[in-house]
Amino acid sequence: MWTTVLVSGITLGSFYTLVALGFALIFGVTHTFNLAHGELLVLAGYVAYWLWKTYGVSLLFTFPAAILATLVVCLILQRLFSRLREPMEMNSIVLSFGLAILLQNGMLFFFSGDYRLIRVPTFNQGLHFNTLYLSYGQLTLLALSLLVIGLLYFLMRHTFLGKALRATIQDREAASLAGINVGGMGVLAFAIGAILIGLAGPLYGCVHYLYPTAGLQATLLAITITIFAGVGRIRTLILGGWILGFAESGAVVLLGASWRELVGAVMLITLLALRPQGIFEREQ
Amino acid sequence: MRKKETASQKAIQQQVAWAAPVLGLVLLLLLPVFARYNDYVLQVFTHALLLATLALAWNILGVSGSISLGHAAFFGAGAYTSALLSLDLGVSPWATIPLGGVLAAGIAAIMGLFCLRLRGAYFALATLAFVEIPKVITDNWDGLTRGSLGLVGLPGLPSLRLGSYHFDMSGSLVGSYYFVLGYGLVLLVLVTLLFRSNLGLALQAIREEEVAAEAIGIQVQKYRLLSLLLSAFFTGITGACYGHLIRYLEPGLVYGLHFSAIPMIFAICGGRFTILGPALAALVLYPVDQFIFHPLLPAGHEFLYGAVIILAILFMPSGVWGQLRKGHFVSIKTGSIE
Repeated sequence: MWTTVLVSGITLGSFYTLVALGFALIFGVTHTFNLAHGELLVLAGYVAYWLWKTYGVSLLFTFPAAILATLVVCLILQRLFSRLREPMEMNSIVLSFGLAILLQNGMLFFFSGDYRLIRVPTFNQGLHFNTLYLSYGQLTLLALSLLVIGLLYFLMRHTFLGKALRATIQDREAASLAGINVGGMGVLAFAIGAILIGLAGPLYGCVHYLYPTAGLQATLLAITITIFAGVGRIRTLILGGWILGFAESGAVVLLGASWRELVGAVMLITLLALRPQGIFEREQ
Repeated sequence: MRKKETASQKAIQQQVAWAAPVLGLVLLLLLPVFARYNDYVLQVFTHALLLATLALAWNILGVSGSISLGHAAFFGAGAYTSALLSLDLGVSPWATIPLGGVLAAGIAAIMGLFCLRLRGAYFALATLAFVEIPKVITDNWDGLTRGSLGLVGLPGLPSLRLGSYHFDMSGSLVGSYYFVLGYGLVLLVLVTLLFRSNLGLALQAIREEEVAAEAIGIQVQKYRLLSLLLSAFFTGITGACYGHLIRYLEPGLVYGLHFSAIPMIFAICGGRFTILGPALAALVLYPVDQFIFHPLLPAGHEFLYGAVIILAILFMPSGVWGQLRKGHFVSIKTGSIE
């Protein structure tokens, strides 16, 4: 039983990390909270569902369309955020909360309130290793999540652009003095964040039911993992994702599936209670 | 930066500030007469008034500068407490509605324990996550709450007997309307007294400059907790009234994001730092939503709330009523003192 928890914990956790990456990057670079994160994820899922259902497009080819949709919304959001006044963190929460309501209602209008799932037939078959069972769905989720996380890690650690992004995350004023276009880095963060959400969305639609208000859970888990990790640390983000994945899988086994939603919320409140001064103050 | 206002402009503002609420009150009192043959109009305005009390209650905390995204926790707790006590034990709603408020305040005390040390954005995020706790518990405690099946057949609002006169508040829509209007007016008076009391002044000082407030001897944490408890108490009462009005509850409904979002949106659009603003926004926006957008867009009409909050935070962060009443509040940051 516990090997099942282990496997589903790592799979879920890796996917959660992928879900959180876009949120963490946008927050780290621009110091704004995007509460519409989950809604964007669900939107990307719906775009993939729609293409798959009406045109029979295979899952792999739905990613570009999903990314396009999240890119458009994210860049609009970036334009709106750039007009906000201080305090940025608080005002960005209110504004993106409004966007979340807009998106929820837009999705209700276009896709109705019915529960949708992208059913890939092969995802339910799987491999047996002694007592361990791995479905192809889990394998795909794990492989794609780790691949994208790996690519982002490479981008952040080994390219000039990544260095500039990391410098902006660590200290915006110093980065600006060093000649980095901090505003441009903000736009870039939203663009990369949108691509990450667009990659995660169709996968989300394969493992979770899509409905217009499904986004809140995803937003909460992205916030939880980001606050666990602080900013700019991809390795800690993975650790946070895995802990959340294990905790949720454990809760499902011990208490039942209906208590799963509580795990992320309790973890977030505990983290905040332990570190009330927020994230940026830590290094002082 | 702001244009200097001439004396005549100021006088006009003063007149608007008095005339608009008085006119609004007269219209609300006479509304059942105008709408005597239309149940739908009465229902919409009863609900709008209820949402106005929700926004007023939210703003007891909002005036201290905190933004809560978790008031559905109090709303749902109040609704469920009152509903279960009256359904299962047969207690009169007169007694169970205040008890709903008490339990909501109890939940706020637990929330305060974890969240009140947080500031600004982090407080908002913690409250957003906090709602999940009572929601999931209500959803899973089948023995007590009937779980996700919800509660049906709640007793209606209590009837009032004054001598031979019988005031039916559950059977007739007019009765329900006046009950909610009465509660709204009582709450409005209480909020007005509260904002002008030492507690209210302390909360506004905390909002403007917390460190300075602490330096002049305001016990910041105590006052913030007090405002959270009061805000939750009245939110719980509103939730309880809601349950007895629509006589049907479900965890996803009363603990849903809707009842966290709505008071925040009304308060910010109307004017967070004013007394009347949040209630006025509820009385304008909800009917606009129901009469104009609902028939046009049966699915997705609530996009209106998303749109107005985005416009408000971008172009009018002090809210519409706050803009009108500018200069009537001590504001250190803008330097205007009236």
